[in-house]
Amino acid sequence: MHGVSEAEVVSGIAPFLGGYYLFLASMNAVMAFYLWHYKHRTNDALVWTAFSLFMVIVSAAAMGGSPPGLPESVRNLVNWLTGPVIYSVGTTVLLVIAYVLRRWWVKPMVAWTLLNISLVAMGVSMVDANFAAIVTKPDNVPIVGLVFLLGFFTWLATAKAVENDNRAKEGLPPTEKLDDEKVLVWPDLVYTELICMVALTALLLVWAIALQAPLEEPASSVKTPNPSKAPWYFLGLQEMLVYYDPWMAGVVLPSLVLVGLAAIPFLDFNKLGNGYYTIEQRKFSYLVFQFGFLELWITLIILGTFFRGPNWNIFGPFEFWDPHKVLALNNVDLSQYFWIGFMGEALPKPSPDATTLSQILTILLREWLGIVLVVLYFVALPPLMAATIFRGFFVKMGFLRFMLMANLLLFMAALPLKMVLRWTLNLKYIIAIPEFFLNF
Amino acid sequence: MAEKKKMSVAEILAAARKTDGGATSDEAAPKSSDAAEAAPAAESSPAPEKPAAKPAAKPAAKPAAKSGGGRPSVAEMLAAARAEKQGGAKPAEKPAAAKPAAAAKEAPAKKPAPAKAKEPVAAKAQAPKDTGSILAAARNPSKPGPMTKAEAARQAPAEKPKPAAKPVKSKLTVPPMPAKPDYAKPKPKAAAATTTDRRGFLTGMMLGSCLGIGFVSMSTTFGLWLLGTARFMYPNVLMEPPSQFKVGFPSNFAPGQVETKFVGQYGVWIVNYEYNGEPQIYALRTVCTHLGCTPNWLEGEQKFKCPCHGSGFYKDGINFEGPAPRPLERYAIRVADDGQLEVDKSKLFQEEIGQWSDPASFVAV
Ligand code: FES
Repeated sequence: MHGVSEAEVVSGIAPFLGGYYLFLASMNAVMAFYLWHYKHRTNDALVWTAFSLFMVIVSAAAMGGSPPGLPESVRNLVNWLTGPVIYSVGTTVLLVIAYVLRRWWVKPMVAWTLLNISLVAMGVSMVDANFAAIVTKPDNVPIVGLVFLLGFFTWLATAKAVENDNRAKEGLPPTEKLDDEKVLVWPDLVYTELICMVALTALLLVWAIALQAPLEEPASSVKTPNPSKAPWYFLGLQEMLVYYDPWMAGVVLPSLVLVGLAAIPFLDFNKLGNGYYTIEQRKFSYLVFQFGFLELWITLIILGTFFRGPNWNIFGPFEFWDPHKVLALNNVDLSQYFWIGFMGEALPKPSPDATTLSQILTILLREWLGIVLVVLYFVALPPLMAATIFRGFFVKMGFLRFMLMANLLLFMAALPLKMVLRWTLNLKYIIAIPEFFLNF
Repeated sequence: MAEKKKMSVAEILAAARKTDGGATSDEAAPKSSDAAEAAPAAESSPAPEKPAAKPAAKPAAKPAAKSGGGRPSVAEMLAAARAEKQGGAKPAEKPAAAKPAAAAKEAPAKKPAPAKAKEPVAAKAQAPKDTGSILAAARNPSKPGPMTKAEAARQAPAEKPKPAAKPVKSKLTVPPMPAKPDYAKPKPKAAAATTTDRRGFLTGMMLGSCLGIGFVSMSTTFGLWLLGTARFMYPNVLMEPPSQFKVGFPSNFAPGQVETKFVGQYGVWIVNYEYNGEPQIYALRTVCTHLGCTPNWLEGEQKFKCPCHGSGFYKDGINFEGPAPRPLERYAIRVADDGQLEVDKSKLFQEEIGQWSDPASFVAV
């Protein structure tokens, strides 16, 4: 931060962090008591009591004006890890690890430990002025909360699915089928809803009073705020716009997302997994959905919220948002790679005086490689998939349904492919026909 | 949870028995098929089980009538069953049906139904019920509580109130379609009056004219609205800055300079730079060719940079980074008669279709 020294920032955030660590301490104390009193697991209870006491000490230190922070080297490492390639590949790897190890991390104690680790990591990171500036921005506070909420719900669903899968192995019915009795709308449901409504209203009131609405200067058509961010739930779309033409990223791909979601009942041939959580019985659907939701939506929202700074450059969480950060991002179209880089010629350029037909032919000649690649991708890959990895699917689904599914999957994969191509090869467009607003 | 509820059902049933106990102490059991199932007391079960071949008798109406059309007591039902045994060749389908009184009343009118129909009824009587239905049934026998599908399927044959009109659909029992009683037969439609008499003609006219007036006025209103909307597109006063304006003498612009002071008012950068090696002054439109944000001129990096998705443009307007597919657009620019530069925003020049070589798009220096 300019104009504010590190010490000032620390003293500003210290009282908050004191309360924060105190909250962590009490949270763990409650957990320890619960384990000891209700579960009779004295050893676990002792561990969490010790952790809780430690948090009290940390809280005291924070209140006293010296909250623990991260050393410079760790911060630099984190900044480096959140570079685009490592970030996107890393989140995908994390997703795979979470899938493989799901039986391990859904255990309540493991999940509780992970939660504590992330909360403590939050706390020690907040000492950094740049990190604090990002996460305490009124716009971003609820998103931080949402990230934790998402973690909780992912854990909940996975835990239930793992339990059901274990039961299925022993030949037992899923837990949802055990208590099959219906619940009455009145009073059961309505009371629950009422309580939720009251609690949520109270929360909103507190929130509205505590966090000022982030109002900005009056809108002007000639001045765009820098960086200019969409509402958080659209940040995935905004991220998509970085890699695609507005037509593709703003119209075609979002509509395809909706069409694809609507087509699921038509495409799904797996009769299992109705009305209960399971992973084993619906592996393909589960993986595709988790990838589409967690990877292509959530991580992009997080990237857009926390890592996109001025001029829409990517900044690490501990990096100063410098509007003059210089990044060499010379993006090159595939046709330029081919004609200039490979053939060593100038791009074929349609002359403005030529007939429309000859202009179009010149453009097609210029873009032939990209066009061939895209056509191959969408036309040749599905039969190839049907013949190899998706053979069983093809047999079960039939031609039409399989083609639809394959193309939807390919469109889905097109986004991460393009992102990685952009970051690694600086590839701008595979087909670039700006003359007709046609870029892919 | 389930057990708790079951407990409370028992209590409620007891309570229900108590309230009914004023008249007959054991009336609660057969008061509806639901209740009968919940507490499959010995009293009620003989009724459905026995009558496999029981024919209904006319006297059956009597005991039912005694209870005033309401719920019959067990004693009454047993009596009815006994009477059926003795009686003629007309069996009653459901002694334990929801409304035995009604069933008994209709009995004389009914055609014989096959004895088979009874078996599912008996089976149903023992079928377990969930608490919600029982609770609701205990509260109000005429409104059975919510049911699961499975339950509804089990119960469906038992709860048909008028089996004569609607034969039971079940795999086990396929009774022949009984003849419809008179009241259930469709009434022959009154022959439509095909001739229009004078009064009918008058009403028709009045009605027609009302509709006519309505529709005409409605479409007139909509038409006027449409016209008003069209008028709205041509406001009396246009608060837009003129599309032609002067920006000063060419000598005001140093070579290599990007003049940003006209952005606020006119949305244009005046640049004195070069294109294809030819030095020239041109007017760039401040609209990103990606999605239309306003890029910023970064003097330090000598580039236009868009804050929305990071497109970057060189000083000559050519796109080089980020997603923008085309270079920035140029406005027409010329030297006016007084020697000042004049920008005309009504004309655009796009590089990708070769329009920047048009002499109207720049002023050579
Ligand atoms: S609007 Fe300028 S980069 Fe998207």
